[in-house]
Amino acid sequence: MTSGNESAGGRGRSRAVTALLLAPTSAWYLLLLIVPLIILLVFSLGARAPEGGYAPALQLDNYLELPTRATAFFNTLWMAAGGTMLCLLVGYPLAYYLATRAGTKRTLLLVLVVVPFWTSFLIRTYAWMTILGNQGIPAIAEGLGFGHIALINTPLAVMIGIVYNYLPLMVFPLYVSLERLDKRLLEASKDLGAGRLATFRQVTLPLSAAGLLSGAMLVFIPIMGEYVIPALLGGGKVFFVGNALVDLFLQSRNWPFGSAAAIVLILVILFAVTLYLRLGSRAGIQREVSIL
Amino acid sequence: MSERAADVELVDVTKRFGRFVAVERMNVSIARGTFYSLLGPSGCGKTTTLRMIAGFEQPSEGEVLIAGQPVAGVPAYRRNVNTVFQHYALFPHMDVARNVGYGLRQHGVKGEEERRRVDEALALVRLGGLGARRTWELSGGQQQRVALARALVNHPTVLLLDEPLGALDLKLRKEMQLELKALQHQVGITFVYVTHDQEEAITMSDVVVVMRDGRVQQQGSPQELYERPVNRFVAGFLGLSNFLAGRLVEHHPATGGAAVTIGEGMAIHGRVTDPEARPSAGAEVTVAVRPERLWIGRADDAAAERTAGATRVAGRVRQATYLGDQNEYRIETALGELVARRQNSEGGGALPGVGPGDPVLVGWRDEANLVLVA
Amino acid sequence: MDRNEFRDLYHDLRRGRITRRHFMAVTGLGVASAVVAACAPAASSPTPGPTAEPTPPPSEGATPAPTIDVNADWTPPEGVDLGDTLIMTTWPNYHDQKTLDRFKELTGVTVQLNIKGSNEEMLAELLVGGTGWDVLVPTNYTFETYGSKGIVEKLDLTKIPRFDASRYDQRLLSPAFYPAGSKDQYGFNKDWGTTGFTINTKQISTLLTTWKEFFERTQADLSGKVMIHDYQLTSIGSALVALGYSFNSVDDAELAKAEELLVAVKPHLFAITSDYQPAMRSGDAWMTMTWTNDAVQLHRDIPEIEYVIAADGGEIWSDFFAVVTGAPHREAAYAFLDFMATPKVAAQDAIFHGAPLIDSAAIALLPAEATGNKITYPDPASLTKLEFGTAELLTSQARADLWARVKSA
Ligand SMILES: Nc1ncnc2c1ncn2[C@@H]1O[C@H](COP(=O)(O)OP(=O)(O)O)[C@@H](O)[C@H]1O
Ligand SMILES: [Mg+2]
Repeated sequence: MTSGNESAGGRGRSRAVTALLLAPTSAWYLLLLIVPLIILLVFSLGARAPEGGYAPALQLDNYLELPTRATAFFNTLWMAAGGTMLCLLVGYPLAYYLATRAGTKRTLLLVLVVVPFWTSFLIRTYAWMTILGNQGIPAIAEGLGFGHIALINTPLAVMIGIVYNYLPLMVFPLYVSLERLDKRLLEASKDLGAGRLATFRQVTLPLSAAGLLSGAMLVFIPIMGEYVIPALLGGGKVFFVGNALVDLFLQSRNWPFGSAAAIVLILVILFAVTLYLRLGSRAGIQREVSIL
Repeated sequence: MSERAADVELVDVTKRFGRFVAVERMNVSIARGTFYSLLGPSGCGKTTTLRMIAGFEQPSEGEVLIAGQPVAGVPAYRRNVNTVFQHYALFPHMDVARNVGYGLRQHGVKGEEERRRVDEALALVRLGGLGARRTWELSGGQQQRVALARALVNHPTVLLLDEPLGALDLKLRKEMQLELKALQHQVGITFVYVTHDQEEAITMSDVVVVMRDGRVQQQGSPQELYERPVNRFVAGFLGLSNFLAGRLVEHHPATGGAAVTIGEGMAIHGRVTDPEARPSAGAEVTVAVRPERLWIGRADDAAAERTAGATRVAGRVRQATYLGDQNEYRIETALGELVARRQNSEGGGALPGVGPGDPVLVGWRDEANLVLVA
Repeated sequence: MDRNEFRDLYHDLRRGRITRRHFMAVTGLGVASAVVAACAPAASSPTPGPTAEPTPPPSEGATPAPTIDVNADWTPPEGVDLGDTLIMTTWPNYHDQKTLDRFKELTGVTVQLNIKGSNEEMLAELLVGGTGWDVLVPTNYTFETYGSKGIVEKLDLTKIPRFDASRYDQRLLSPAFYPAGSKDQYGFNKDWGTTGFTINTKQISTLLTTWKEFFERTQADLSGKVMIHDYQLTSIGSALVALGYSFNSVDDAELAKAEELLVAVKPHLFAITSDYQPAMRSGDAWMTMTWTNDAVQLHRDIPEIEYVIAADGGEIWSDFFAVVTGAPHREAAYAFLDFMATPKVAAQDAIFHGAPLIDSAAIALLPAEATGNKITYPDPASLTKLEFGTAELLTSQARADLWARVKSA
């Protein structure tokens, strides 16, 4: 029928328009995501040129060499997982308070959460070097008779820096999902016999899971790629894959090995994200994500 | 037992939010098994009252008793009371069955037993077999029933319903009114029902309490409220009335009988509806007359003397409206505009040949005169 | 030569009574480089810088006839558009801001500093190209690579009229020629120095004198209080020295030992960083691998921080000014080099950074406090075991990989 043909033609035209509209985005992705990835892949199979850089080759040596960076990978993974967890533990009560209890102070408090981010990331982290350095918290602790504690250039210092810097990324999605949470559902739960804790577990937590999940992603992924915080607060001793990459590209100029490490880092992140989503959907969170 | 035990009692309950008084010195006793309605305009304190019973608000003064026990300090989740919320408040992350079984699970009823009772409750609200549905897949009426089943499944002492039909369309609302009433009868649980719809309150309730600005105006059966409203607010809130300004001539507290002058010195007899009232002679009062109590006939109707009643006044039809089951006439008289309604039943209905501009005679009996002091 | 004799010599040097060359010969600094060169492995033969030949005797009476008035202020070249910006890639704590401000005052050119922690970091970016850098402050052992790769340009000496090779010690200047021994000059000395370690004597009472002790005590009583450079050259080199090997070793077995030592030491370090002044100043760390200039600055502000040139060896170095090939602000770069070649300017700058100078005319202008500073101008005998880094270390994959492994361990 003609009407069918017309509609098919219309669909074809609209598909062409869609493609046209998406062209800049596609080009952008191709240029900034796909092409670099391909370059990384090619480099990772190459060899190091005599004075450094890349020399064409086809070998897996760089991947076979990766176990020597196992510590860095392990550090990165546990610090990212631990940092995400800590951000969650600190961020959830904060977001909960902001969303439900803060009342008229809410806007002020939300602004306060963001205020530190008006200065640069580097300056904030440098400030922590002073706070965690021996003249800072350890001096105060010693003054109070706690004996000497070492903070700066320890994994704990890096963790503090991570939590401090990434906390807002956790708080905001959580805040949004908790703020959207229908408070009447909490009353309904209590009305049906659930105490505070039971209500939290059965209603608040699952209904803020979407925010929790996106917060965790927003925090976990960048921590996996972090290198400034470990470099400044870890004194070159708390070593992330990001630091290994900086070294490999900017000091020892072993691009092929660096590329291999980068590719594996990307794979590890992809794997972790997939795992997250799986867990999320099993917990029935995905539907929530689609609702929100 | 001469008097049935009270399931819910409010003793001198006052609730203040800051300096604003939402409920003032409320005294209510709700007998077991009653369908009890809180009726009043929006903002009069109905929800607040309900929330004090549920345990979401604490009274500023006074005491709430459930099944004879004071419940001050008992948290909501420990009260054997369940609520059907205004917008249902169904858990979006659970299917229908899990919603309904929520309360059971909190009390340790799980597994097979939970399933059995959930199925039972769903059958009770005629949602059998829909347990696996997602709540947002249901229509408004169905969601309403889920909320009902979720509350009833716990066999509460008292079921609190906060405008449960407010979000439904008229037809569905009417259906649900009947169904709720039947359900209440079937389960025998005390229902405390909040509504601002006087018709709903009248058709469903055993007892209605009318509230205004946090204060109880009158409490009684729908019939009592309709036929003997104690003040102008109640008379106006339940059904239509013609209000006539008057001055009290005399009042016999024992019988309630009163003589009043209205208009240009017209003397009428009626009853002061508020048994507590002790108005003094000369006090300004309002006389309420229900439209269906008015007799109308042609100005030259020979039978008027006999059938029209003691009070008669001549007028002219300003507007005649056909309402389906009734005909309504708006009549210009010396006492002001009066509204009369005639039932379209055998021997009633429209007055043949009477239309706008025609002279008519309006009359009513003394029993129709409700003398309101406030 | 005792301390007073040495002091006198410095004074003479300062007053221009003797030449720099004479000073070096007499103090044994020249010997140091000769000894070092003799010890250098044969593999490093094409290395510019120290040669295997014995030090030529200082040519007597070779006081150069100054082509310029060494006391004169610098003036910008006439009729040259210098632009308004200059990007210099250099080391931490290495330039007096007043010097840069003065340059801006005279030329309108703002010098932007780009700070790196190692020559390797500089190389990595230069190899990629497109850095936009104008002036580089490379170390002696980099010129062979930079020259062969054309990374820095052959200096147009006509644009640096205030530079006069005769004021410079030829051995210290020689690494700037590529190919080695040719007449093609790619840079001129900014200063020289040593890589030793500083100690906060308030915290550490028993002084250390060797790299061996440095690494041992780091793993013992000084655990958590010590820093080493984030720099393969000095960190691996000093570890090699501690083990009794050459600072420049590329021997697999020796490197393996050094790696073992560094990995064992790492958990005991406070930090691995080339910007170690802050932690020493704050007291977070008590001991650190240190370059001369940083030692001078630290000691100047905190007298209890003392500098040690390790008795078992280590690095002696010289840094240069060079112009990056394709420098976007080439004229400004040459103007800046000429500015820094001005004795008065270099001397003034040295008072801040504290590294010893090579330009005899500039040295002559230094105040007594500067020339008398034992950190800047140490007992020459302490220099005898020091080695200049060899060219191959810059690009050695073995050392680069070793360092990356140590850091990620
Ligand atoms: N938590 C509260 N804080 C302040 N005022 C309230 C609060 N809850 C109710 N009110 C006020 O109390 C009055 C009665 O409210 P409510 O009981 O909800 O009325 P309704 O009869 O419409 O259900 C209203 O004026 C309302 O604004
Ligand atoms: Mg309400």
